[in-house]
Amino acid sequence: MASISATAKSIPTRPRHSLQAVNGIFGLKSVSISSLRRSFPSIRLQPTPMRFRVCCAAKPETVQKVCDIVKKQLALAEDIAITGESKFSTLGADSLDTVEIVMGLEEAFNISVEEESAQNISTVQDAADLIETLVAAKSG
Amino acid sequence: MSWLLRRNMLPLHSNSLARRPFASPLPLPPASLPSPRETHIWYVVPDELKDASLLYQYMELLSPCERQSVLRMNGERLQKGALLARALVRTTLARYTDGRLSPKSFKFQKNRFGKPEVEWDKYDLWAPPPLQFNISHTSTMIACGVTLDLPIGIDIEEKQRKTSNNILSLAHRYFSPVEVAYLKTLADPECRQSEFIRLWTLKEAYVKALGRGFSGTPFKDFTIRLEASNSKQVTGELKSDAPSIVVEAVDDPGILMNRWQFALFELNNSHYTAVCMERDVKNPADGENNSLKLEVWRTLPFVEDECVTETDAVKNIIR
Repeated sequence: MASISATAKSIPTRPRHSLQAVNGIFGLKSVSISSLRRSFPSIRLQPTPMRFRVCCAAKPETVQKVCDIVKKQLALAEDIAITGESKFSTLGADSLDTVEIVMGLEEAFNISVEEESAQNISTVQDAADLIETLVAAKSG
Repeated sequence: MSWLLRRNMLPLHSNSLARRPFASPLPLPPASLPSPRETHIWYVVPDELKDASLLYQYMELLSPCERQSVLRMNGERLQKGALLARALVRTTLARYTDGRLSPKSFKFQKNRFGKPEVEWDKYDLWAPPPLQFNISHTSTMIACGVTLDLPIGIDIEEKQRKTSNNILSLAHRYFSPVEVAYLKTLADPECRQSEFIRLWTLKEAYVKALGRGFSGTPFKDFTIRLEASNSKQVTGELKSDAPSIVVEAVDDPGILMNRWQFALFELNNSHYTAVCMERDVKNPADGENNSLKLEVWRTLPFVEDECVTETDAVKNIIR
């Protein structure tokens, strides 16, 4: 899949989070750069419709809320630290955990997550980013 | 140590196993290959591992890449589970090579959908058996299923597993209409809970057997259910009147996907276990029961193996 990262490259000096403001003004959305760094040859590389994601990092409160939901679902020991970087696979989430987490997130944020989007989430940060995209799409 | 520079192939004579440079207390007893309608299952219970030095031995078997993956797991419990899973796969496969391949020598690759499979080397004087495998784990058990040249999926789930979300909410979201309707007929919440888990393991096993991943075979697109016996779709003579587990596409109800056969049972009194295996059409049964055969071993690799097939550890089998 060719990446349409031209939009991002044309504003090289702006920090990532301000792309949202730029995109908001022009009504544009850019393909997430983060999807390019994924070299993991998994089912995510199956042909899927091109999905545009707003390229910005989620608010810390969103990330924290996701961490709380994940920690509760996986019943992790107190000493296990979860951050935005935490990968679901290394937290021991199986497929039933994953769907329960998705449903928990949908309920907590009042959003609806499509299966294809859910499959592209590998870290807590990914989940938080997706949530904010969906919340913004709802209200925008 | 020069033999380590080759592909870690063991010499053919069994008495030279004792002289291998890396020491393990017991060589793995060789196992007979699965027959065409058989799935072999080897399972390990992590809590039975009390000897920390075993963990070092298991770590020795892994590739550098696997070791890194194990160490990336978050916390000791998950690391131990990941280590045991890789050790179980490697030792299990090695058993079927008649002493020719060590657990350490196996290489793995992923199919284009991400399903792990063995990457076999080419040998001059020996053709390795075309084994296919699949693993599943919970925090209290890891299971590895093996077949001879037939796609297989296995899924295990703790019988006591509780869901955070309401069963019917989960079912409405992820299961087919026929399956949701079935769960709704179960008034008792505990019964509904356990049937949900059992159905989940069957659906997981099917998706894993197909090897196309969760998104390649969405749960909502197919129904798994019991089909009454003496139906035309099941080939061969059935000896009992027991209903059989079948799968059909939601878009094509009534057309059963006969290629796939299932077994659902309880393992070690603790886990529901589902196995899905492709039916072997090259070797049709001669008028006998054509359903999936199981052989099950409890193992702690290099320490103890116990065949539990005809015991209480494997019960309530539905096929």
